Amino acid sequence: MTTSLSAQNIVKRYGGVVALSDGNLDVYSGEVLALIGANGSGKSTLTKVINGVVVLDGGQLLLDGKPINFDSPHAAKKMGIATVFQELSLVPKMTVAENIWLAREPLRSGLFIDSKEIKVRTKNLLKLFEGTYRISMSMDDPISSLPPDELQIVEILKAVSIDPNILILDEATASLDNRQVHRLFELVRQWKAEGKAIIFVSHRMEEIMNIADRYTVLRNGKTVDSGDMKDVDEKALVSRMVGKETVYSLSREDRPKEEEPKPARLTVESLQTGVIKGVDLTVHEGELLGLGGLKGQGQRDLLLALFGDIPYEGKIVINDKEVDFSHPNQAIKESIALVPGDRSREGLLSIRSILENLMLPSWTNYGFPLNMRRSIEDGDRVASSLNLVMRSLSDPVNSLSGGNAQKVIIGKWLLKKPKILLLDDPTKGVDVGTKAEFYRLLQQLRSEGTSILFHSSDDEELLGLCDRILVMFEGKIRATLVGASITKANLVAASMGASEGNIA
Amino acid sequence: MKLSHLSLRHPYLLSAIIFFVVLVVNFYLQESILEGNTINNNMRVFLPLVLLTAGQAVVILTGGIDISVGSIVSIVSALLATRVGLEGTVNQTLTWFGIVLLVGILAGSINGFFVSYLRLQPIITTYATSFFFGGLALFILPQPGGGIPAKVANVYRTNYPLGLHWAFYVIPLLVLSWVAIRQTRYGRYLFAVGGRAQAAYETAVPVNQIIFSTYVVSGFMAALTGICITLLTGSGNPQIGDPMTLQAITAVVIGGTALSGGVGGIAGPILGALTLGIIKNIVSFANIDYWWQTFVNYMIILIALAAPGFIALFRRNRS
Amino acid sequence: MKKISISPPVAAVLLAVVLFIFSGFLPNSFGTNTQAAVSQAVNIVRLSVFLGIIAAGQTLIIISGGEGIDLSAGAIVTLSAILTWMIVQGKDERVLPALVAVLLVGAVIGLINGAGIIFLKISPLVMTLGMAGVITGVVIITNHSNTPGRLAPIMTRVIARPLFLGIPGAIIIYVFFAALMWLILERTTFGKNLFAIGVNRVTAKLSGVNVTHMVLGTYALAGALAAFGGFMVVGNTGVVFLSLGQPFLFPSIAAVAVGGTLLSGGKGSYFGSMAGALVLILISSVLTTMQMIDAVRQMVLGATLLIILSIYGRQRGFRQ
Repeated sequence: MTTSLSAQNIVKRYGGVVALSDGNLDVYSGEVLALIGANGSGKSTLTKVINGVVVLDGGQLLLDGKPINFDSPHAAKKMGIATVFQELSLVPKMTVAENIWLAREPLRSGLFIDSKEIKVRTKNLLKLFEGTYRISMSMDDPISSLPPDELQIVEILKAVSIDPNILILDEATASLDNRQVHRLFELVRQWKAEGKAIIFVSHRMEEIMNIADRYTVLRNGKTVDSGDMKDVDEKALVSRMVGKETVYSLSREDRPKEEEPKPARLTVESLQTGVIKGVDLTVHEGELLGLGGLKGQGQRDLLLALFGDIPYEGKIVINDKEVDFSHPNQAIKESIALVPGDRSREGLLSIRSILENLMLPSWTNYGFPLNMRRSIEDGDRVASSLNLVMRSLSDPVNSLSGGNAQKVIIGKWLLKKPKILLLDDPTKGVDVGTKAEFYRLLQQLRSEGTSILFHSSDDEELLGLCDRILVMFEGKIRATLVGASITKANLVAASMGASEGNIA
Repeated sequence: MKLSHLSLRHPYLLSAIIFFVVLVVNFYLQESILEGNTINNNMRVFLPLVLLTAGQAVVILTGGIDISVGSIVSIVSALLATRVGLEGTVNQTLTWFGIVLLVGILAGSINGFFVSYLRLQPIITTYATSFFFGGLALFILPQPGGGIPAKVANVYRTNYPLGLHWAFYVIPLLVLSWVAIRQTRYGRYLFAVGGRAQAAYETAVPVNQIIFSTYVVSGFMAALTGICITLLTGSGNPQIGDPMTLQAITAVVIGGTALSGGVGGIAGPILGALTLGIIKNIVSFANIDYWWQTFVNYMIILIALAAPGFIALFRRNRS
Repeated sequence: MKKISISPPVAAVLLAVVLFIFSGFLPNSFGTNTQAAVSQAVNIVRLSVFLGIIAAGQTLIIISGGEGIDLSAGAIVTLSAILTWMIVQGKDERVLPALVAVLLVGAVIGLINGAGIIFLKISPLVMTLGMAGVITGVVIITNHSNTPGRLAPIMTRVIARPLFLGIPGAIIIYVFFAALMWLILERTTFGKNLFAIGVNRVTAKLSGVNVTHMVLGTYALAGALAAFGGFMVVGNTGVVFLSLGQPFLFPSIAAVAVGGTLLSGGKGSYFGSMAGALVLILISSVLTTMQMIDAVRQMVLGATLLIILSIYGRQRGFRQ
């Protein structure tokens, strides 16, 4: 069967903030539409309008040419629209099978759940991704015991299980490794052939170039361009996303040439946590050390352990002094700073002011009673040095866009002038312009002697910026890439667990 | 099977162990505890809290809490004592049993409306309604007094079918209904809403209706509790339910249903309620001066509430 | 359309003024007699001092988030009042030691509350409710044989009578107390960190705030503040009884809510709670003037909190 969905002149406001002012999109059976745009351009909002999660303030949705109005996700689902949510729509304490069939459980005599039928159907669904998840994973495992990539797979299967006509994949590849992405793309092509319409949202340009047939570009809440993928290249798409802004291109020439090795600032020996299985590493003064690998290989745990947030075994030496942190405040005293991976849950005090967010680790420096004037001066200084776009320091931090909020998190540590900066995927979901500013900032900090341990899920970023790259795989460092060995091929090979001997 | 899976599937394990421990202690102090008569006498005292706990467990399962249940019990007691009275007829009593059940449903609907449709925090909302309902109970019956006809009360107190107190029929019925409910979509929805409401909503679970329904269930069970306790005492007391709220919550916690929602059931909490009842027995058999009893009772409740936390602390330190 | 927004504490003050004027028109009230109106106003403010002080600890705990609430405040007030009464025994020189002692006792009780909540993960509501029972138990044990006691004259003079220019001492103490609370909340690292843990404890920890210490400290401070409330209350009433503190509990929470402090934590002010206390005392006073029985008063207070919650306390919905 064929289907088509059209969103026309969609308007959506959250409070006083306009998220979408003129969102347009058309998608047809048998094609993959890439919905692209910088962070805060309204992609997520547009998908949420289509799947009924938010109420639209203006515009019209047409399904097969007929006007339609969804008053809940349920209504959209009934019309054959399924969504893979970026934030996942899974219940942690329920099992894989219970989650997939939630609210659509097959029933016996119209009342009782048919668990046998559920088993059979789940088994069939899991076959789609067979071989890309742990062998030990079972459909009776509680969701909370699954690693991020398997959670993502379950979320995808849950959406697919309703056999939708229209499938929205919102950042569905973010937690998947290459093999899993590859499998997903095979499936997407198959679904396309079956006549499904697929809306694909991703930050990874490479994937968009690979899978999409057509594209729609959003900028500042407006659809600015749509067309065939055949007619554009990556550069053209990016320039449409960012408008007139200049794109910061990474090139190896921007990096200072190799210098004398500086003294070690941070040394880690046989570090272990639940996830990390023995890690040794050294970060030197003024070094930008990359931390790569697939998602969930222990990068997050490593950074949290170094910051004293989770218990660990092993030895951590800072400036020749052995330290033993049991709380982040001890790490902060040793001039360490962490920009955590989840902005809103770990980095921000949503309803508090920008000033209080900036000052949170530093209040003790402002005496008693707190010298507010001096704190405002310092806050203003950091804000302007980071080009923070805001009206006033006293505005709540949740009035800022994603990229600006991330600047606040970085800013609160700049005030402490850290010697060691730990970064957990800081550019995730940040728009291209802010990314460029951020790269310049890293270079500057590095040249001032700050030691930076930089985890990123974006391989290009690591390859373009770092002095050395450690590649993590299953809780260990699989490879160290230095100098000429910093190549994409090596990074990918090590990420996939290729043995070190094979890496040039 | 991993330990975490085991505790997810069998949340009653711990409560069963605690139950048997206190039973053994009680047996040591009072050997007649296992004799038919004593069991019947005990069960008729325990049943009200069991009913209240079952209702509370359903609310807590979905991540809510109902502080107002004690006050609803009080309203029911006050209503029955003033509207039926000691001299009332059997028919009158039965009519008013029906009416107070409706009152319970209405009270629960008020809670449910504020919590689910106005999206207020359950703790503070039901705390506010508990104050309101408590005032209402005192308005209906300013001082303890009145009651229901002894003829009716005796059906609960002494005339049991087949020599077993009503509790022996009611409790299995409750558990069986729960087992059945768990096999329905409604049962799954309770767990889904308690586990993660936003995800449930996005999966087309009618979250607001489910939350609303749990407060109605809780209000209904509180009214049933009120009927039971009035049958037990035969008289009215506008504050009889006040201490029962904390007991019911404690019973739920002992029963392995986490206050954060999403895990547990009602069998564990029912065991928890029975455990609390037996503990009360133990305290009264331990010959404690009456002025020590408030202290001892609440200490036991605090310790019971702290037990899961202590176990978790111990586990964390060991691993 | 431009939205007109008044901050909740200001709204509460306006509500108090409206209620006061309304109360003037009731039969047997001050009517158009300005002097009577002024003395009635002073009296209302004086009465709100005790509730306001007891609401101080409640404010801190509610701001600290994590479903924070202190249901043991009423019992602490009773315990502290009885201890003060027993220690002082009519001697002025024992007042200060008594104050120090009850503050310590309150702090220790609060510390136990905090420890149960942060280490044993007991929900604050359940922990403090259980603690209230235990404290009441302790009060019954210490008081069952009618232990003798008496207030010192200096307490009555400073707390219950006009002290300076006809202004009751309680109000003067209240002004200093309020200034101290403002200082704690707005001009100390403790206060800033308190708001931080109220909004997001993970962020707070990852920014170097020791959440455990903060929670323990907040509950201990709140316990001490409730004990101070008990000290003030007994200084005013001069007598002690088992249910002395309980009637303050519900209004202390309602006062915080009326004052616009977010019940989910992270946002609020003590000024708001003071205004809230004033509103609640006025409601009570109006009902008393209208000769309503206690049961009705209780229902009105419950309904007031529900209405306030419906205005301020609504959480984000699933669908926007």
